[in-house]
Amino acid sequence: MTGLPLEGIRVADFSWFGAGPIGAQTLATFGAEVVRVESEKHVDSLRVVHPFALNPDGTFKSGYNVSGYFNNFNAGKLSITLDLNSEKGQAIGHRIIEKSDVFVTNFTPRVIDKWNLRYEQLAAINPRIIAAYAPMQGMEGPNRDFLGFGAVLTPVTGISYMSGHPHRPPIGVGTNYPDYVINPGHTVTGILAALRYRNRTGTGQRVELPQLESVATTLGTAVANYLANGIVESRTGNRHPTYTPHGAFRCADDPESVGSNDRWVAIACRDDGEWRALCQALGQSHVAADPRFATAAARKANEDALESTVGGWVRERRAEEVMETLQAASVPAGVVENAQDMLDRDEHLKARGYYVYLDHPETGRSAYDGPAMRLSETPGVLRAPAPLLGEHTMDVCERILGMSADEVADLLAEGVLA
Amino acid sequence: MADRALAGLRVVEFADETASYCGRLLADLGAQVIKVEPPGGGRERHTPPFYRDQDSPDTSIAFWVHNTSKQSVVLDLETVDGRAMARKLALTADVILEDNPVGWMGERGLGFEELRREKPALVYTSVTGFGQTGPHAGYAYTDIVGQAMGGIMTLAGEPDDPPVEIYGNQANVSASIQAAQGTLLAVLSSEQTGRGQLVDVSAQEALSMAQETAMQTWDFQRKNRTRTGARGMIPVDLPAMGVHQTLDGHVTAFVLAPAGAGFPALVDWMRERGMAADLDDEPYASISGELNMGWITRLMSDPAAAQDVLPKVQHISDTVAAFFRTMTTVDCYIEGQNRRLLIGIVSTPKTLAEDRQLRARHWFTRFDAEFLGESVEFPGVPYRLSETPAVIQRPPRLGEHTAAILGALAGQTDVAR
Repeated sequence: MTGLPLEGIRVADFSWFGAGPIGAQTLATFGAEVVRVESEKHVDSLRVVHPFALNPDGTFKSGYNVSGYFNNFNAGKLSITLDLNSEKGQAIGHRIIEKSDVFVTNFTPRVIDKWNLRYEQLAAINPRIIAAYAPMQGMEGPNRDFLGFGAVLTPVTGISYMSGHPHRPPIGVGTNYPDYVINPGHTVTGILAALRYRNRTGTGQRVELPQLESVATTLGTAVANYLANGIVESRTGNRHPTYTPHGAFRCADDPESVGSNDRWVAIACRDDGEWRALCQALGQSHVAADPRFATAAARKANEDALESTVGGWVRERRAEEVMETLQAASVPAGVVENAQDMLDRDEHLKARGYYVYLDHPETGRSAYDGPAMRLSETPGVLRAPAPLLGEHTMDVCERILGMSADEVADLLAEGVLA
Repeated sequence: MADRALAGLRVVEFADETASYCGRLLADLGAQVIKVEPPGGGRERHTPPFYRDQDSPDTSIAFWVHNTSKQSVVLDLETVDGRAMARKLALTADVILEDNPVGWMGERGLGFEELRREKPALVYTSVTGFGQTGPHAGYAYTDIVGQAMGGIMTLAGEPDDPPVEIYGNQANVSASIQAAQGTLLAVLSSEQTGRGQLVDVSAQEALSMAQETAMQTWDFQRKNRTRTGARGMIPVDLPAMGVHQTLDGHVTAFVLAPAGAGFPALVDWMRERGMAADLDDEPYASISGELNMGWITRLMSDPAAAQDVLPKVQHISDTVAAFFRTMTTVDCYIEGQNRRLLIGIVSTPKTLAEDRQLRARHWFTRFDAEFLGESVEFPGVPYRLSETPAVIQRPPRLGEHTAAILGALAGQTDVAR
């Protein structure tokens, strides 16, 4: 007995890449048994892309089990390999779903059709199933078969156009941002709401999360501003409609920061009080009352001058020192942290134990993102590192599906469990 | 109306910018979310843009988007009476949602421990910049600080520019989404066991996963991912990879990535339009036939070959870019996708509002804003639950429900609670 909120819930995780697997990982962290269905014949691409763990001699480890990209999204799951392009494989897939409470996928509608995983088909097998689909643009509609993945989705949702410096084209945000929190988080929110409904009524349902709709919801202000006012907002860099100064300011270089020595601090003043506090904390009290900067309206009107003034105050200081000085005066400020900071240098994250280190048979001890929701009585736990490809094929077939060893051997020989 | 997934769940929200989106998610799913607001409203009610330039606490679009389907009660928590009423209201809740500085609620008699003593089943969700514990728990926070300390800002933009935030208060949104999951997990647990708990969400931690591979790259290889801008790690423009100008905007292409029809299919399209130029001649024809990300990766591992071939690759890129510039954004996107090419529209607020997929799926909704004398068209919800759809109702005017909710509360005895 774990006492976790999802104890006794089984999840059939027919997903890949980021958006699907991360959501299923959250369910595993809070007690669900998650069966991740994969195939050697078409492995999840994240298993074979960087970053790879290193050998002692500094060369990259190889194989399907050494990518940190994959592993960080799949901790605590069981992995079965199953060829869903075969009829027998589909039948086994259906048996897993029959024994599950939740089904998750982010495959395209076309693949869902091919593998016979449409909601009506699953509900016929298991009427209580909560089946979550996270296609790019929806299970229906004129663009339902449009191709995409995170890198395409970021511009399609509007994030690229709205983010970045105004003098640059809409180059995106450096990552496939919606894949990691927005889409998996919305998916899990929908699943948990559906679980509550099922607890009360016994009824399962389909949860559809078109990734386009999920992300566009978070850009609702810009969309609603166009609908209401006909205004097409665009990139404003780090500037805020009312808070000022509001941006990232360069500090003294840090030779210990690996990869790039440039260091930056984000600073935001939400009102005149925070502006005066900032001036005082940085020893520039006389500037607080400068008519160019004394009020938010004045600072907005003179924002270039404001930014170069503040920039000058911090350029020779260490970013950490600027942050601490401003925070001591209750001014929002934070170092623009890189991964080195977050894992090794941020004492706050260490004290909270956010990152979890797990022993993995191929990568060795390695870091995983911990759960970002800390439940005091039922804290989530990463019970195991990410599974090796097919690590639990036998276990799932025998323990969950009740197959005999002979049956499993035959299916292995036929290449169905591959 | 259809059944609601969160019917019967009462949430009392003491939240402004950081957690309001969490409250909205719960409210659209059918929870009764009562937002307790200070006189005059919080920061979000005063954030532009405003509906038709009407600058008032009731007409902030930024507020609306994070506060649909809620009820609003104004209480002054700086007064004894206000606090007493807030406490009484809080004890009727199944869930408290708050995003105040650490300790602020406790100082007003509304902290987790105080309320739990009287109501053991209570779920209490706190959403802050850095969480309830640790050396930075008391740090002042706003969205850009979360994006900075959450590790995503350092990855965004051109290397020569300052690191840049992602639009849409994404630290607040991410923290809210993590909080919505945590709240519902705790609700499931409380409804099973009768035991409530604290759900502690830090915006910094909420964004960590969005570093993509940066965290693991440091962990495995002791290398920091840095912002690499439009070109990524390759010193030239790759053909049909990344953002491209069109007649009236931009598209983003990933034609060399494995999932789509591939580069030769793009050259076919260019040829049909008479825009293939010299791509059918050597050496470009041979290169075009082989171009994909695997080929580029192999090329880059042989510096001598790369030096010879990359200028030719740049020429192909320029030819493709000229082709894209002859089409409108929407035509390039639709026709490219019809050809199974990985091409995405760089959507603007306008093209999203006109998007044929969103329109065909009736994603947009409407609510009556009788106080404006109008019906307002509004962006929709993130998901569709077939039995218990999320439904948007008009965001509340400031204090709109004060009399009704406090009146009902006054009529309740402690025993009835």
